[in-house]
Amino acid sequence: MNALLNFSSDVFLVAFFLYCLGFISYGVTIAGARLTKRDPEKHIRKWGRISYAISLLGLVSHATSFITRWIGGGHIPTSNMYEFMSFFAMMIMLAFVVTYAIYRKHLIGLFTLPLTVIIVAYAMVFPQEVQPLIPALQSPWLKIHVTTVALGEAFLAVGFAVALLQLLRIVDFREKGPRARRSQRWVEVLMVIAVIMVGYLISVFGFRAAGYEATFLQENVHISDAGVESTETDTVAYKLPPIFKPYNSQVQEMDSFLGLKDGVFETPHWMKGVDAARKWNTIVWSIIIGLILYAIIRIIIRKPIGAVIHPLTRGMDPDDLDEISYRIIAIGYPIFTLGGLIFAMIWAYLAWSRFWGWDPKEVWALITWLYYTAYLHLRLSRGWHGEKSAWLAVIGFIVVMFTLVGVNLVLVGLHSYAGVE
Amino acid sequence: MLSFKNTKCECGHQNPVGTVLCESCGNPLEEAEATSHAPLEMRYDGAARRSQKVNPSVIDRVWNFFSSVKIAVWLIVITLIGAMIGTVFTQESAFISFDPSTYYEERYGWVGEWYYKLGFSHTYESWWFTLLLVMIGTSLVICSLDRVLPLYKALSKQQVRKHEQFLRRQRTVYEGELAQEAESWTARAEEELKRKRYRVKREGSALLAEKNRFSRWGPYINHIGLIVFLIAVLLRSMPGWSMDNYMAIREGETLQIPETDYYIKNEKFTIDYYTDEELPEGLKGTARPKLFKTDAVLYTCAADCEDPTKEPVLQEVMRHGIIVNEALSYKGLNIYQYGYDDTAKIAAVNPVLVNKQTGETYGPFKLSMRSPELNYELGPYTLELNSKYLDFAIDEAGNPRTKSDEPNAPAFIFMLKGPGLAEKGEPYIYFVKQNDRVTFSQDKINGELAERFEIKVPSMEGVTFAGMSSTLNIRIDKAMPYIWVGAGIWIFGVFLGSYWHHRRIWLRVDNGRLLLGAHTNKNFHGMRGDVAAVLKRTGIDVEPKSLDNGGNRS
Repeated sequence: MNALLNFSSDVFLVAFFLYCLGFISYGVTIAGARLTKRDPEKHIRKWGRISYAISLLGLVSHATSFITRWIGGGHIPTSNMYEFMSFFAMMIMLAFVVTYAIYRKHLIGLFTLPLTVIIVAYAMVFPQEVQPLIPALQSPWLKIHVTTVALGEAFLAVGFAVALLQLLRIVDFREKGPRARRSQRWVEVLMVIAVIMVGYLISVFGFRAAGYEATFLQENVHISDAGVESTETDTVAYKLPPIFKPYNSQVQEMDSFLGLKDGVFETPHWMKGVDAARKWNTIVWSIIIGLILYAIIRIIIRKPIGAVIHPLTRGMDPDDLDEISYRIIAIGYPIFTLGGLIFAMIWAYLAWSRFWGWDPKEVWALITWLYYTAYLHLRLSRGWHGEKSAWLAVIGFIVVMFTLVGVNLVLVGLHSYAGVE
Repeated sequence: MLSFKNTKCECGHQNPVGTVLCESCGNPLEEAEATSHAPLEMRYDGAARRSQKVNPSVIDRVWNFFSSVKIAVWLIVITLIGAMIGTVFTQESAFISFDPSTYYEERYGWVGEWYYKLGFSHTYESWWFTLLLVMIGTSLVICSLDRVLPLYKALSKQQVRKHEQFLRRQRTVYEGELAQEAESWTARAEEELKRKRYRVKREGSALLAEKNRFSRWGPYINHIGLIVFLIAVLLRSMPGWSMDNYMAIREGETLQIPETDYYIKNEKFTIDYYTDEELPEGLKGTARPKLFKTDAVLYTCAADCEDPTKEPVLQEVMRHGIIVNEALSYKGLNIYQYGYDDTAKIAAVNPVLVNKQTGETYGPFKLSMRSPELNYELGPYTLELNSKYLDFAIDEAGNPRTKSDEPNAPAFIFMLKGPGLAEKGEPYIYFVKQNDRVTFSQDKINGELAERFEIKVPSMEGVTFAGMSSTLNIRIDKAMPYIWVGAGIWIFGVFLGSYWHHRRIWLRVDNGRLLLGAHTNKNFHGMRGDVAAVLKRTGIDVEPKSLDNGGNRS
């Protein structure tokens, strides 16, 4: 790695810590206003400004890291999972800055910054080395297509953050009755999912810091085109203790963890994707750590997480949130259409000889687009507003994340990146 | 019932059936609207649509079905779910040769078996998926026509002085006493609105200001683009509109491009890998390709094209180094770098004929894989080429066949003639590769003859290998211009409809009271901002948020 790339990684870390700090600062802005003995208006104005400045500083560091990596690496850093996720997080911050410039609501920061923090941390899971471009990626469209998609999806992400805020605002945790309870339960499910994301990061980085390693020898039966069966032994390396070991495998080497000498369970045979066993094991760890974390939080706060956040959101008008979430999505939708479908088709035509090939990534871009098309039609022509619309925006972001990450992890196709935890 | 409803407005205007707001003054007509105080339903400016006809005929019913946005959303959602299911397992089209009837079951168990049986393994080519796309296309046409015409009519004949009910029930409303003289204040407001790039029509103390009406056409333009796009996609399946062929071509070879009069030569195929110095720690030692390139020459046939006895006379038309992102393009013919085959393929060998009984050898003779001679004279013996199989295999009936045109397992059957051999010759099969000789048990096939004669390559000397073969994808796609035009119109419409907002402000001053109503199709936040700014500059101080008349949506 050359000096510029080292500098880039350092600044990237600075950006990460600034985002964390920005999140805390927004917490102080909102929660502090309820605790302060002085004028809450003044408190919010002062801390809001500080928080926004920290966020901007984070974005500037992030951009510096991006540019220096571009110069140092020789190509735009959007070519693998680490680079893309990092760029996506930067675009989310940009979308946040734009949103804030229009609507001036601090609460949006309180919800966008943690999203950015999680995505930046997720980027760090992947190998961070600059990888030289394979022939398919050697095109100016790498700059155009990938950046536009990321920007469009970033607006959809901020739309999601506001919709989540809106849900927490309108779902009153003191209300009883079946409808209210159902809403409360689902909002809390979202909170649990968020905690599981954190659980994922804790398990990956925790065991990485501890240097945990285990390797298995897995026997795989391959059937060739001619119908000849052959058995191959593959080595599967784990970085997390194996709750689920690979199907049909033996321990080769394994660091001890809580006296564990072998995987507790075997991954079912029908999970056959690339590294399916290891990914499944990681998911199980995330859920376990996430749920433990959630239990601890619940023991401390003694009520649903949503019930704690809800009072903080009282300063916002639910109708405003409804409008903002929709507006931000409406800003992101054309950009996504341009980058994710039109530019994607042009590049596919230039590189793969066809503008559309029903590759899983293409299909999921189409699904995302169809989803938000339905969202807009339901809203504009069928009058879906408020809670319904907010739920649609939240589910939409799950679709976006599946298109960005899930397709690469679960499905196979032309858009494959290396090194997945 | 709609049919008995009086559609004449109190202002005297006769409206068509289905009109929600009077075409002329905007007074709410429908009973439910007229008695309510909630903000008005302003969609299509309350104009009547064709789908609201009385006593619908069959055609009207079909029209009504497709003109419904509810149906359109259902179609979108069903297509979305169908597309999702299609990504569960790899589609058949992703494989080059395999047997789908057993593949899905073997790999994915009973789920895979049903996936295949229900036809999801070729979702995107299925009749129902195509039908869904056609239905979406129909819905796009009818939904748009049903709405754009009444909307166009409504917007092109707008009254300046609207009914008070109409103004008071907009979603952005201001009402208050005016401290200034009515006419002069209105004139001042007109000026301010013009500064904000509104187009203003004023009738005394009543005023209509309008901005960015064109953005209303955005949705219809993007729908037209999508329709053009979908039609172009359908056109591609017409014969002659598209071609999709693959050809493997070795270095130095010139081949005719199937289904065309063009010939292409692979002058040189280059494949470069990144060196370890260029690779980061984690990738060192891996073969990471840096470049695939076919230096190609495209020819047309100038003479002797159809005559099989003569070599065609070729005329060069273009040279291009084809790489992954840069195809060769010539008059609608596109040639892409698709893949390559770098396994060593034998081009020619120099075998000898051995008489095992005497130990004498005859030859060597040059045996080319691609274009072998038909007769070889070797001393007293003759080898007559009977048949050749470049990629030898035995079919189900037990007969020899060739799997491909690539010399992967070359085998030759010669008729051996000469002293001590049958008059008409005796057949001898010769596998060029040692391992094929074992796999297919050459000696057993040749039987007794194998004990007397043998064809073998005495040394590697004279064995030549063919250059690497580059796989090119040959495409003709006559619909592409229409696809791009459709896509262009589509994205233009999406941007137009999304980033500009149609804003209208109506106001009237009656007896010193100002009544202002404003409407936008999108972005009420911006609409209120505009109104508040204009009011502020004309001496009325209001908070933008206080203009919100509820119903704050879309």
